[in-house]
Amino acid sequence: MTTRHALYTSLTLAVLALVVGPIGIAVFVLGFGLGDSPCVLCWAQRTGMVLIALTGLFVIRFGPRPRYIGLAVLLASFGIHMGLRHSSLHLWRDVGQGFSAEIFGAHTYTWSIFIYWASVVMMGALLLVLKDGEATSVARRLRPLERVTLWLFLLMAAGNAVQAFASTGPPPYMGQSDPVRFSFNPRNWVWSTEEWRLSPVSLRGRWAIEKPDVSLAPADPGAGPLANVPVLPVARRASMSLPLDGPTTDLCYDPATDRFLVTTEKGLYITDGSFSRVLRHTVVDMGFSVDLARFTAGAFLDSRTVIALGENKSYVILRENDKADAAANFRYFLAAFDKFDEVSRSRLTTVRAKMMYVMSMAFDPASGSIYTVTVPNARAKRFVVSRFDRRDMTLSEEFTPALAAGSGLAFKAEKGSLDAFYATGAAFDGGRLYLISAAFGTLLTIDPQSRSVVAAHTIPGLVRPVGLAIKGREAFIVSADGAMSVVRLPDEAFAPVQDKEAPVVCGFRNPSHTGLCEERTPYVQGKKLDAICQPILDCLNDTRCIKTYCGATTVRQGWTLESATRAK
Amino acid sequence: MEFLNFVLILTAGYLVLRRPERERLAFGLLVVSSLLMATLFLVGTRGSILPGLNY
Repeated sequence: MTTRHALYTSLTLAVLALVVGPIGIAVFVLGFGLGDSPCVLCWAQRTGMVLIALTGLFVIRFGPRPRYIGLAVLLASFGIHMGLRHSSLHLWRDVGQGFSAEIFGAHTYTWSIFIYWASVVMMGALLLVLKDGEATSVARRLRPLERVTLWLFLLMAAGNAVQAFASTGPPPYMGQSDPVRFSFNPRNWVWSTEEWRLSPVSLRGRWAIEKPDVSLAPADPGAGPLANVPVLPVARRASMSLPLDGPTTDLCYDPATDRFLVTTEKGLYITDGSFSRVLRHTVVDMGFSVDLARFTAGAFLDSRTVIALGENKSYVILRENDKADAAANFRYFLAAFDKFDEVSRSRLTTVRAKMMYVMSMAFDPASGSIYTVTVPNARAKRFVVSRFDRRDMTLSEEFTPALAAGSGLAFKAEKGSLDAFYATGAAFDGGRLYLISAAFGTLLTIDPQSRSVVAAHTIPGLVRPVGLAIKGREAFIVSADGAMSVVRLPDEAFAPVQDKEAPVVCGFRNPSHTGLCEERTPYVQGKKLDAICQPILDCLNDTRCIKTYCGATTVRQGWTLESATRAK
Repeated sequence: MEFLNFVLILTAGYLVLRRPERERLAFGLLVVSSLLMATLFLVGTRGSILPGLNY
């Protein structure tokens, strides 16, 4: 009997703590006192706690019947799901960020995970100490503490009903994603049915991203978003016949040692400068640590250090070592254990490029920058160049390049974009970032300083290119099967950036504009300065042009070009 | 709908306290309320039923 009393007392105190603690504080202190109003998900989480408390009261009143325990476990299980689902909206945010009120350093929706977990523990403990035949079919006579707990529960439930009526309204109105501050004044009540609106049902929503697939990229150069893209003829075609462990995924060239780096989904192969033989290779064990997925890009970080990047922006850095300890390297590699040492294995973190995979990477030794470029997917279609600092492998910059004024490039459509390009290979040379796009078989040349595309060329006959390397003035473009197309880079794309670092400063005047308006635009070799400034002038005098110049002036006629000079 | 749910809960709690002989009705209300709570949560999260994180 004593044990049974202790059991009921413990359960009563647990219910009392739940009623007076999280639920009571939520409605009477946060709600009525501070004006806090739960969102639609918070309401469900709070209701679940109230239901668990009520189930506990059933046990106190009628004994520990199996259906009560079963329902409590189901409620707590669903409650843990609710806590995780709701918290997942905010867990990834920066320190201190969240939604609505914070209690003891954690937001309310995360507290619910702990409370539901504690409920499961309570149920487990109850079952553990329960004796066979404990369940009864008659109602127990309530002791004073149990009676007080039930009354407090009714008071708390009534308080919640009042708050729910004011905040969410009678049926069919229901809670809102972004609720309005609680008020007892009916004039401030907002009742909404927005959550009832039909919308697609999905298991993972925007997190359901398909893996990148080169074969899905439209190959037809004519279908690309850019107009009047010149053709770059293929100087020669060749085929790599190297003993690789799978299809080729990228290419990179190191001018200091005249060697190429070829990557496969798991392997790194360093070849001579003519692809005639493999000088060194290894196959990386992709599991049991940072998930590297499959390598889609690789680069030389210096003449003895290489990096391979997975589609999921996870990377491994390897350093060549002729005396590598094969036994110690067993954990890192699946083959050729004594050719490299693993330096590090981690992940690149992006912001604008988040939720998108990458298939290209390039390294600029002058600035110590690593570049990656996104490939579009069904949910996120953005062309984002990300730059990381080699020293700490942390994001330094992200941008979506514009078309350089004076480049002669233009979109076919008024609201055209680069988003449909599918960058599968990248190389950095002469201050330029070169990208090969499997979509539309196009070679893009980007000036990272002006964040603009300075040249674009279609290359005929490309079949799903996956990698790009630049050797001298030639670009080597490789497909998964090792087929190689070699093109000679045109002058306008190749011109070293140091020759044209200084942009053109265009000076414009207008009677309706105070002073001289100066706009800078990248210099284009071989083109007159006036001609380089002309597209800006045309835009300034065109009411349909949506680009902004001269402090976002609304004056769109009467502009003249007064000066065009190279910046000092 | 949340208001309706708390009315159901309040009724069930009252039956437990004052009308224990109506246990079946009270438990029925508890089950209905649980289902309504789950339904409202799923309506609010139908665009992404599982937590939006890496798996």
